Amino acid sequence: MRKILSVIKREYIQIVRTKGFIIGTILGPVLMAAFIVVPILVQFVSVDQQEKIGVVDLTSEIFPELDNKLDQKLKDGSRRYLLEEYKPETNVEEQLEELNKKVLDKQLTAYIFIPEDISEGGEAEYVSEHVSDFDKQGNINRALSSIVIEKRLSGEGLDPEKIGQYMRPVSLTTKKVTKRGVEKDTGGTFIISWFLVFILYMTVIFYGQIILRGVIEEKSSRVVEIVLSSLRPFQLMAGKILGIAAVGFTQYAIWGVFGIAATRYSKSIITRFFPAASAFDMPTIPSYIFIYFVVFFILGYFLYGTIYAGIGSMVNNEKEAQQLVMPVTMFLVVPILLMMFVIKSPNSSLSVILSLIPFFAPILMLLRICVLLPPFTQIAASILLLILTTVLMIWISAKIYRVGILMYGKRPSLGEIVKWMRYG
Amino acid sequence: MNALEVENITKSFGDFYAVKNLSFKIPEGTIYSLLGPNGAGKTTTIRMVMNIIIPDDGQIKILDQKMDEGMKSRIGYLPEERGLYPRMKVGEQLLFLAEQKGLHGQDARKRIDNWLERFDLTDWKFKKTEELSRGMQQKIQFITTVIHQPDLIILDEPFSGLDPVNTKLLKDIMLEMKRQGNTIIFSTHRMEQVEMISDNICLINKAEKVLEGNLNWIKQQYGKNTIVLDYVGDASFIKDIPEIEKTDDYGKFMEIKLKEQTDPQDLLKRLVDKIRVNKFEVREPSLNAIFIDKVGEKNAQDTVSH
Repeated sequence: MRKILSVIKREYIQIVRTKGFIIGTILGPVLMAAFIVVPILVQFVSVDQQEKIGVVDLTSEIFPELDNKLDQKLKDGSRRYLLEEYKPETNVEEQLEELNKKVLDKQLTAYIFIPEDISEGGEAEYVSEHVSDFDKQGNINRALSSIVIEKRLSGEGLDPEKIGQYMRPVSLTTKKVTKRGVEKDTGGTFIISWFLVFILYMTVIFYGQIILRGVIEEKSSRVVEIVLSSLRPFQLMAGKILGIAAVGFTQYAIWGVFGIAATRYSKSIITRFFPAASAFDMPTIPSYIFIYFVVFFILGYFLYGTIYAGIGSMVNNEKEAQQLVMPVTMFLVVPILLMMFVIKSPNSSLSVILSLIPFFAPILMLLRICVLLPPFTQIAASILLLILTTVLMIWISAKIYRVGILMYGKRPSLGEIVKWMRYG
Repeated sequence: MNALEVENITKSFGDFYAVKNLSFKIPEGTIYSLLGPNGAGKTTTIRMVMNIIIPDDGQIKILDQKMDEGMKSRIGYLPEERGLYPRMKVGEQLLFLAEQKGLHGQDARKRIDNWLERFDLTDWKFKKTEELSRGMQQKIQFITTVIHQPDLIILDEPFSGLDPVNTKLLKDIMLEMKRQGNTIIFSTHRMEQVEMISDNICLINKAEKVLEGNLNWIKQQYGKNTIVLDYVGDASFIKDIPEIEKTDDYGKFMEIKLKEQTDPQDLLKRLVDKIRVNKFEVREPSLNAIFIDKVGEKNAQDTVSH
């Protein structure tokens, strides 16, 4: 036992001291902070420019009202959209051609063409170099619609004051129902699920690669035989996997502290600089998600870590290893590809089956837990299957490792590996 | 008591026998050498003694006990394919490997410092291992083998790659260990070293034992019909003399095996007319000659060329 502890200590100290670990650990929270802060900033900072929009109004009635309605303000209080009317000329087509040139010359960001029959169903046009600013197009569309609808209604003889009431838009709030009641949700669930699953995916691959490289280094530097003159191959393998797990926990602990601090204080910090951001609700994450996150990280780590250790013992160098690692990594990539499907229909039978498959479970079951807490029996079943598979993999990897770690030369064939497993 | 008893061990990998029915005994406090051409089964034998490879058949007893994991800390082992953790600092490396042998804390640290001083490596204690020269790394490896004062020291090809200075250092330490009552077993195919320090030898060829016993006794068995000749001149005629069974010519030096019932005196008479004889010694055959005799010319050439 004392020998394994010494191996664990060695692995831990050697890795925690590397530049890669220190940079990764610092970069983690930075990325995490960026992940939380950037979307908020993008929402409130990027639209900080006045835009000049031309309007050709063939009805010559709509422009004044449009100018009134499109009153979105910039941070400094000035108008976001500066509308400029172009009186219709006799040759409209020529005029529009002219305006196209102005858009291309950047004198105008865009122009709006309002046909004479707009109230009777004619189509208005929005012409710009960039037509993917859905926020702006939405604003214009809403303003135009309400003006035209108001015109139609008042044409029917309705009281202009009543029209205002009738036109009041319906607001739609998204709420999430859970066992503990109904909560307001502003899209945070999606972001957090995606975020947690991504961390799990990255760290399992990252630490798996560290195990792989560690085993290969021991083997190719030939130090392994000296070490094995003191302890069993299984002890060495176990010590390595546990030591690197300890590194992982250290990193998670550091990230956890940053994460809690970030979710607690980031809003107040951001709001100080951008008061408008107070409208953005910080998503709250139930604590059971964190518990399952840690459980599935541990299980996923040990499942994939043992496989990586087994592979490391079979090969002579990292190049050879990458070929063998590819299919294993695919087992981690597939659930990432299936994420969108599972998020959309977390309780479909396909999602249930996929999340029970041990190689997918760490990612997909965690994702289902984040999106919509599945029945406990399903979670327990996936954890149990995962543990059984991990034990089986430890058994297989240990058998391969014991022989492979001392074998040099040609990479073994599948038949040879089966033979190794039968050696006394 | 025997430090090591190997009884009828066999190990095969598929159809290939690495070791077949091998038995030998090593008395405590002696130096024992395991000889044989490359691929003869020396390393496999040593790995079985170390419990790294499990024999298919047979028994191994170390210090009168069955080999088990607990025994590993009473053994010092220097593998043939040796290495160290390249990115660990020398001091940490030694401490880690000492801990694996059951040493701890102050005791381990003190021993490390003593050995580093003895090998003149104190300045390198905080350097990364990969910065050391090959010779220095070999010294570190040797320290890890003996730091826990093992009763039995197993060295697989300990002299390979060592320069003359380090070869002497290693030889001196081996003899010192022997004087302290420790037992040393080492494998090699370099006969000079074996002849100088071994008490007993075991010659293995193609997985099987060919010859075993006390070195002096073995040489006596071969009789005093070998002549070592130190000469100047053209000695090519010697091999055609009918009374001579075999020659091994080095240009200035020749080992000659006479046929039975031949008087060395007659040979000397023939030589003095044709070449200048600086030395003419009648003695037992060299281990090298015995090795070649037993293993066969072709096989031995493969070995010597290494």
